[in-house]
Amino acid sequence: MTDIPPALEKSRMIQLRVLRYCPSSDSEPSFVVYNVPFSDDMSVLQGLQAIKADQDGSLSFRWSCRMAVCGSCGMMINDEPKLACETFLRDLAPGPVTIEPLRNFPIERDLVVTVGDFVKKIESIYPYIMPKVPKSIEDGPYLQTPAQMAAYDSFADCINCMLCYAACPQFGANPAFIGPGAMAMLQRYNSDSRDGGQLQRLDQIHGEDGVWSCTAVGVCSEVCPKQVDPANAVNQNKTRSALDFFLRFLRKAPSP
Amino acid sequence: MKPSDIGPRPHRSFAPVFWLLFGAGGMLSALFGPALILLTGIMAPQGWGLPARFTDFPHALEFARNPVGKLVALAVIALFLFHGAERLFLTLKDMRAGALPVLRAATYGVAALMSLATLILLLLIGF
Amino acid sequence: MSEQRPFHRPMPANWWAHKPYLSYTLRELTGVAVALYGVILLAGLVCLWLGADAYAGYQDVIASKLSLLAHLLLLVAMLWHVVTWFQTLPKTMPRLILHGKPVKPQSITAIGLLVAGVCSVALLAAVVALGAWS
Repeated sequence: MTDIPPALEKSRMIQLRVLRYCPSSDSEPSFVVYNVPFSDDMSVLQGLQAIKADQDGSLSFRWSCRMAVCGSCGMMINDEPKLACETFLRDLAPGPVTIEPLRNFPIERDLVVTVGDFVKKIESIYPYIMPKVPKSIEDGPYLQTPAQMAAYDSFADCINCMLCYAACPQFGANPAFIGPGAMAMLQRYNSDSRDGGQLQRLDQIHGEDGVWSCTAVGVCSEVCPKQVDPANAVNQNKTRSALDFFLRFLRKAPSP
Repeated sequence: MKPSDIGPRPHRSFAPVFWLLFGAGGMLSALFGPALILLTGIMAPQGWGLPARFTDFPHALEFARNPVGKLVALAVIALFLFHGAERLFLTLKDMRAGALPVLRAATYGVAALMSLATLILLLLIGF
Repeated sequence: MSEQRPFHRPMPANWWAHKPYLSYTLRELTGVAVALYGVILLAGLVCLWLGADAYAGYQDVIASKLSLLAHLLLLVAMLWHVVTWFQTLPKTMPRLILHGKPVKPQSITAIGLLVAGVCSVALLAAVVALGAWS
């Protein structure tokens, strides 16, 4: 049997306090404490997987890629919204580490939150290119300079992890707020030189539950694991929405 | 799934009016606020860097009677008030300090009344 | 399928006083300081309209030590407003692309602070010059 390198030896223990909730048996969530042996390379996600494998198979949590691109494993770790797969137990030692489901979302079970409303918000902002100039396949591809791509590509980095929604107190106060993530997606399309749907998207976000629920707290951009800067996506659309409020009579009629 | 399947288009909010007032007041106070406080609140009253009679009654009256002076006074007072009103309203709303119509009256309402008073006083002071 | 009964956790009533939101609350309160200064100016205008005696009374209050302290506090709050204003301003602007690269928000903040510094210094200089000349 090969020797385990010292860094990968599970030589230390750490306490994970996990908020558990089973709707069919619990009236409300409560913390359960697990002691987990860990090695230097283990993430919080791996810690949860170890609990599920060795201590309590009923522990439920979302995960997929283990490398911070799928956006599934968002949760509150020591009261901060983080991706469990890129948060390391060695940085949280000696613990205890408090793990709760993402703040501001209803809890389905254990660390799994309800995401249906978020999906609806994404769908409401026309999340696809509505070409300014329609082109057929025969006409060839749309061309874009590096500068034109730079205008939207950071907003395209969003992995829909919803950490920004957990960080946003205005979303916490108003669950109907369209929120930072959906606005980042909106801005990804609005800033794309191929797209001509700005006005239609503006009509979806000019209400109280659109951009006007935002008070520029800015913590959304601080917690974003992909540096998408959703705060900018929301707030630059306040400027747009405000100008549109006064100048809407000068709007050109939308193309059929 | 089309966005039209989600539901009716959201009703347009009136917030932009207050947001632009907040922005104008914020920019004006960001550019000139520190100097204004220094001048009117510290230097002139204490006589530091300005002659003792600089803001005495005749001079202040002359400023307030000047059309440009009136515009400056109205802009500064009204925009500063509306800037603070918006921020106070949102902060009180964050703190859940009361029903929204009450908070609006206490902030925007008071700012509007005070701005109106400023306009009326500037007109009453004459030219 | 097991029972679905989503559990809603209420927001703590004093979320605005805790990390990471306390700095946001303090930033917003600087706006209230701006309004308070506006009220002080309005009070001066009221006294000006009421006449020379009322205005002299106003001048005495403004020259007092208490007023000096209050204005110093307002000045501190106003300066914090200036700094946080230009930190927040880039958020409201579309991504600027210069020479193919996005302009950093910090650059916009720096330019804003510079312009604000120039404006306030210019106003101070202009008024002091006016005072010296009159």
